[in-house]
Amino acid sequence: MLARSAQGVYWMARYLARAGYLSRLLELQVQFLVDRPVEEIHFGWKRIYQCMKRFPPPGEQFLPETDEFALADAFTLADDLTFERSNPDSVWSAIASGRENARQMRHCISGEMWTCLNAAWLRIRDLGAVDIWRTPEVFYAKTRSEIHNFVGVADATMYRGAAWRFMRLGRAIERAQLAVSLLLAQIDLSRQTERRTLGWASMLRTHHALEAYGRVHGIEMKPERVLDLLVADPSLPGSVLATVQAAATELEGLDAGPGVEADAAARRLAGRAEAIILYDWPEASAPEELLKQVNQSARGLHDAALGAFVDYAIEDSPLR
Amino acid sequence: MDFSLYDFDPAIYDEMFVAEGEPREHCRAVVEALRELPDDDLNTIQERVTRSFSQEGITFTVYGDEEAEERIIPIDCVPRLVALTEWRELEAGLVQRIRTLNLFLADVYGDCRVVRDGVIPADVILGCPQYRLAMRGVSVPNDVWVTICGTDIVRTHEGFMVLEDNLRVPSGVSYMIANRKAVKAGLRLLYRRSRVQDVEQYGSLLRQTLCELSPGGRPDPCLALLTPGTYNSAFYEHMFLAHEIGAELVEGQDLLVNDGFVYMRTTSGLRRVDVIYRRVDDDFLDPLVFREDSLLGVPGLMNAFKRGNVALANAPGTGVADDKSVYAYVPDMVRYYLSEEPLLQNVDTRLCRRPEDLEYTLDNLDRLVVKRVGESGGYGMLVGPHSTPEERDEYAKTLRADPADFISQPTLALSRSPCLIDGHAEPRHVDLRPFVLTGNETRIVPGAFCRVALRRGSLVVNSSQGGGGKDLWVVDL
Repeated sequence: MLARSAQGVYWMARYLARAGYLSRLLELQVQFLVDRPVEEIHFGWKRIYQCMKRFPPPGEQFLPETDEFALADAFTLADDLTFERSNPDSVWSAIASGRENARQMRHCISGEMWTCLNAAWLRIRDLGAVDIWRTPEVFYAKTRSEIHNFVGVADATMYRGAAWRFMRLGRAIERAQLAVSLLLAQIDLSRQTERRTLGWASMLRTHHALEAYGRVHGIEMKPERVLDLLVADPSLPGSVLATVQAAATELEGLDAGPGVEADAAARRLAGRAEAIILYDWPEASAPEELLKQVNQSARGLHDAALGAFVDYAIEDSPLR
Repeated sequence: MDFSLYDFDPAIYDEMFVAEGEPREHCRAVVEALRELPDDDLNTIQERVTRSFSQEGITFTVYGDEEAEERIIPIDCVPRLVALTEWRELEAGLVQRIRTLNLFLADVYGDCRVVRDGVIPADVILGCPQYRLAMRGVSVPNDVWVTICGTDIVRTHEGFMVLEDNLRVPSGVSYMIANRKAVKAGLRLLYRRSRVQDVEQYGSLLRQTLCELSPGGRPDPCLALLTPGTYNSAFYEHMFLAHEIGAELVEGQDLLVNDGFVYMRTTSGLRRVDVIYRRVDDDFLDPLVFREDSLLGVPGLMNAFKRGNVALANAPGTGVADDKSVYAYVPDMVRYYLSEEPLLQNVDTRLCRRPEDLEYTLDNLDRLVVKRVGESGGYGMLVGPHSTPEERDEYAKTLRADPADFISQPTLALSRSPCLIDGHAEPRHVDLRPFVLTGNETRIVPGAFCRVALRRGSLVVNSSQGGGGKDLWVVDL
């Protein structure tokens, strides 16, 4: 497969995973606006911004304001995270970038995938926060559902070649990084509040894990159990372990890349991230430190994978 | 569809009607069926065709001052019909013409007999900006210089005529196929009953043709389509064709030349490329030979090509044969190289480099179409009958300043075909661009990208100038 095409498909998947994840976060966050106290709403916004490594627009201080102020803030913040063109991680920008990568690599994906993604793009292209604000949760749910649909269509129609592997690799790495980042934000912000359980239920909902938690641990909300489920349960599709294992699987399915050292590094980093969770996590005294190590491995895996298959030195490459 | 108010003009060839209200023989069944179709149904079909282009992202890119905009070529859902018998005649003319042009190219980059024998003046060829000195003495696989040709054809009461040969990187074939797919889906039963010749095999014919150029007959050659990139207005077509022919869609940065062979960077290392369908202009192909500031090309590509290690379709330098001045000599070339009479006529063309032609052109500016030799896409031309005296005065000054840069032609009454305009049938001027593929043999799918001047009275069919597209049905009725 052409190296640049692999890179395009990889980034397409990363951007779309980002758009889907952020849509899910925002879907839950705007639901909070209906019936949650201001403190919890602020907590949610801070967690999203910290996860996305972005500062809120100037003027947003998250003070203990009245409901009116909190709702006005919500509009500004949602607009910034959803439609702001200059924010490369906004839902709009991520879908635009994912679609642009797909447009350039249309010959590498199925026609059905392209049509599905293009339809999502045409729907969102000309929208702004004002257009969705009557029922914002409907917009976010629809966006998330379109991205799920895209993943499903890919699963049903895409040829299982190298492009498929690179797409899945991109999605897995993006999801691993986002999940770890959100968990780190949650741990950090929890320390700053007296309500020990604040935000943990929504962490479960974000990862579609509320029912699974109930089945495994019952109804009592214990942060360490939530953390354990979201990090180390291989049966939960959005857990950090599941995403890291998915990345390792896709990497294994690819022939060795021409960048020999980077290839070895990528495989080693995928194994390391998995090993941290499988072997160190159960006895972790400082989960935050381990999560940071996983995050480092995932970042390193991204660089190494591109180095192995895309940005390799010409002199490293065999001629075929 | 109501044809009762259709503005039939006997002075202009109508593709569907031979007289007011009277369809041509091969159009009779289709006209009857269209008459039965309620306007609302046809409007719905039209909307569906447009929507399908938008949903599938069949676009071309237009660049404004600040940002790029993806646009859709407006498509009219009423097909233009050509009888199969007429098509066969056109096809024979196209085959004759491409044979001639390939012989001409081999000659002008070889012995140049055509000049020595006085058929074409040397300065017409050597003064042509598209003449490539780098191609002197180069031989090409199977003597095929032009693998893909898109010939612009117009029709008048005198028959089909060639308006222009596009021998460099002709575009539009993706619209031929996309129009067909969309219109066929809208007019299903009518399509089936009309025994329309299929065009959707174009991709496999193109692949077969390109494979025949494989250096040394290497089996199962590696094909690549070289695009200038996503910012090119025809990028959709590049992507579409790469997919159709099973080629990698590459940019210059994906290719490199090592030891006289071309390789592309893949995820498993460097892979040798055998045939490149290039959609990059000559000037940008190889910075070591052509424009040294080109970032779109591949350093060393021409060396690999000259050594016969990679095939380029079309070969560099083919633009000399579609130059507007050289065009005027094509009928003479047919007689010279093939000892045959041309089957397809040219539009009568005057070269303003000749003093008598310049004088005639200046005296008749209000009746002529004047074009710049080096321009395309409908730019830089004056349509005399549609111009103001001030515009003609201004144009005459430019013309006098550099006569060799201009040609003039009579303003043709291009044929018209019914279009759905604001819910009813109106005639619009049309042309057609069939695509001629040449490898071991010449292949033409029975269809074309049919362009329409959608503005009332306009003769300019270019999409950049308000033109649109139409499906062209070659029917066996």
